[in-house]
Amino acid sequence: MEMTYEFSKEDLAEIEKIKAKYPDKKSPVMPVLWLAQEKFGHVEPEVQQLVARTLDLPAAHVYGVVSFYTQYYGKKMGKYVLDVCTTTSCQLCGGYEILHYIEDKLGIKAGETTKDGLFSIQSVECLGACGYAPMMQITNGVYCNHLTKEKVDTIIDGLRAGRMPEFESIPMPQHLDESTNKIG
Amino acid sequence: MPEIFIDNIRYEFEGKPLVLQFMLDNGLDHPFFCYHPSLSIPANCRQCYVEAGTPVWNRETNDYELNESGDRVIRFFPKLMTACSLEATDGMVIKTHRTSELVKRAHKDTLEFILVNHPLDCPICDQAGECPLQIQTYKYGPEGSRFEHKKVHKPKRIKLGPRVILDAERCINCTRCVRFTEEISKTHQLTIISRGDKNYPAVAPGTEFDDPYSLNTVDICPVGALTSADFRFKARVWEMNQTPGIDVTNGTGCNIDVWTRDNLVLRITPRYNAAVNDHWMPDFGREDIRRMNENRISKPELSLDGDRIKSSWNNAEITLWEKLKEFSPSEMLFAGSAFSSVEDNFVLKKHAKRIGAEKVYFTPFIKQGSGDGFLIDEDQYPNTQGCRLLGLKELSPADFKAKVSDSAVKLLVMLEDDLIGRGVLNTADLEGKFVVYMGSNHNATSAAATLVVPIANSVEQSCSFVNVKGRIQRTTAAKETIYTNRKLNLEMSVGRLDRYGTKFDNWVTDRNRIDCIPAWEYLERVAAQDDANFGYVSTRAIMAEIASTNARFTGVDYDRLDEEPGIPLISAEEVKTA
Repeated sequence: MEMTYEFSKEDLAEIEKIKAKYPDKKSPVMPVLWLAQEKFGHVEPEVQQLVARTLDLPAAHVYGVVSFYTQYYGKKMGKYVLDVCTTTSCQLCGGYEILHYIEDKLGIKAGETTKDGLFSIQSVECLGACGYAPMMQITNGVYCNHLTKEKVDTIIDGLRAGRMPEFESIPMPQHLDESTNKIG
Repeated sequence: MPEIFIDNIRYEFEGKPLVLQFMLDNGLDHPFFCYHPSLSIPANCRQCYVEAGTPVWNRETNDYELNESGDRVIRFFPKLMTACSLEATDGMVIKTHRTSELVKRAHKDTLEFILVNHPLDCPICDQAGECPLQIQTYKYGPEGSRFEHKKVHKPKRIKLGPRVILDAERCINCTRCVRFTEEISKTHQLTIISRGDKNYPAVAPGTEFDDPYSLNTVDICPVGALTSADFRFKARVWEMNQTPGIDVTNGTGCNIDVWTRDNLVLRITPRYNAAVNDHWMPDFGREDIRRMNENRISKPELSLDGDRIKSSWNNAEITLWEKLKEFSPSEMLFAGSAFSSVEDNFVLKKHAKRIGAEKVYFTPFIKQGSGDGFLIDEDQYPNTQGCRLLGLKELSPADFKAKVSDSAVKLLVMLEDDLIGRGVLNTADLEGKFVVYMGSNHNATSAAATLVVPIANSVEQSCSFVNVKGRIQRTTAAKETIYTNRKLNLEMSVGRLDRYGTKFDNWVTDRNRIDCIPAWEYLERVAAQDDANFGYVSTRAIMAEIASTNARFTGVDYDRLDEEPGIPLISAEEVKTA
């Protein structure tokens, strides 16, 4: 049976609040897509059309926005989406080695999802964490930094057991108070 | 008057022109891709870079600041400016590639970037020969590519819609097509998807690019990314002749270019006319090539004792001449046509009058509610207003049917109009009458007629039409009949193949020339049996007579129609009240 997607009354009230923040009707598309993705887990074409209908925007425009950002899932993804950064800094520090290691480990390629529906891999552009390269982000959430093969093994095993890695605070040199060795 | 200095030459300007458009208007060549005069200006291709500066104003002396040699001190913008989005100001100084090494280098380097992922498939690309990217690369581009890596591969041969095919690799993401659907056709069907070097235009999933104006995106695409499903791989552009014409599929009267090769019309593209269609035309107007090429009546046809036979011109002329003698004017009915030209209708009316029939009737073809307020009009025929201005008697379809089916009518002479096909008449209405049909295509009406006279259509002769807003415009012969010759008729364009091809080349044949003559010429030949012809030699001469005898056409002549964007014959108020 084909699933139909609808926003609930509460969602629509939330969308009205979002719309009130912007001067024109094109701007709310990103937060509303985000809301839809939180609710449905993805923004597949049917969801894009729902968003377009709700905001009275062309479906093509919504599709353009979804396809621009890797953070929006234009198709159904696994429970954990591993966004491995392969832009310059990460690439130089071994981003591709990490990506290929994960691909081999899970037996899928970037852009694919494992059969058990647990993992998806994406090769993404810069996530703004060049100082912790190579890095990846898990399901638009926690950043895993300074990746090594061992660290990847631990993370994936942890995820299999349902343990999301902890948020790591890594002080950057310019923020470090050398006397206390804490972020100042 | 404000002045601007472009490459050390002074120009005067009025208003607030954009520098790129101003340069183009003044005949200065300048490269660009994304700019289009009828669309918004995103300045995203970065190809039209110039150096721009403004003079320094000294507030103390209240004059321009001058240097030691007495010249104005110019303060240049720190970076190169895109000429397309730069508004001219008084005293502005522009340096283009002609005077600035920096701009020359910028043009070259921008092109090198644009070409990084562009495939080298010009030899099989439809756009080759009329491709801004190809032309500008020759003029301004680098000699070779320094990029040695593999090009990014993107989808090819995507059917965006029923008429448009996308080759994403060729796309340079100028967004002209996207802006067209957003700003002109307002269907918002296209968008640019993905980002970086992977992006290309697409429709939303589950939809197709079925915009009724979709093929305009093929015209404005500055590369071969969007191609016409119909014209794809049909011909190289340099093998075709380009002849100005008028779209006859609709009352709007879009200005078109008719592209022919070996006397087949291969494509129709819009021709700029700010007063009618700007740069655009609806898709169905381009499908008119089928009517021009296929299912044509060639040689007169006659129904004789239930058989349909091909006849000679001599026979066709004498038959009508005899019938005009056989019946009295009250037994004849002359039907003009809003599909036929002003000249054909005028000559039919004049000969009808000579014979004694006071009235020539016509019935318009209006599809209520089919208009869109832009270029698609409810009026399906190109010359309804022309028939009215010529004083033809307008009847509603029902009245027209009653008039024709009247048993007193024995002879019916009709100009091209598929009255049966469009439901005004049925075959029974014509039974027992001698029906003369002057038409260029086989249809239900020609099948029911007794004598079928093949006539030249709007691309086989010069003729004029008055559009729904009362603007008269003319076509030029683009396609030879077997009686015309493009090397003798100096108005017809002569292309490379026409000039150098011979019948012995396998791409040049005589097969596509139709055995037909203009309707006015046929009527003249019939009258010539009695020496009662008016001696017309061309539609140009007929139009001269119309202009001198009909006050509504005063001042119209072919030379003026060529110089001007058509001539309005009816005021806007008059159109509105009608």
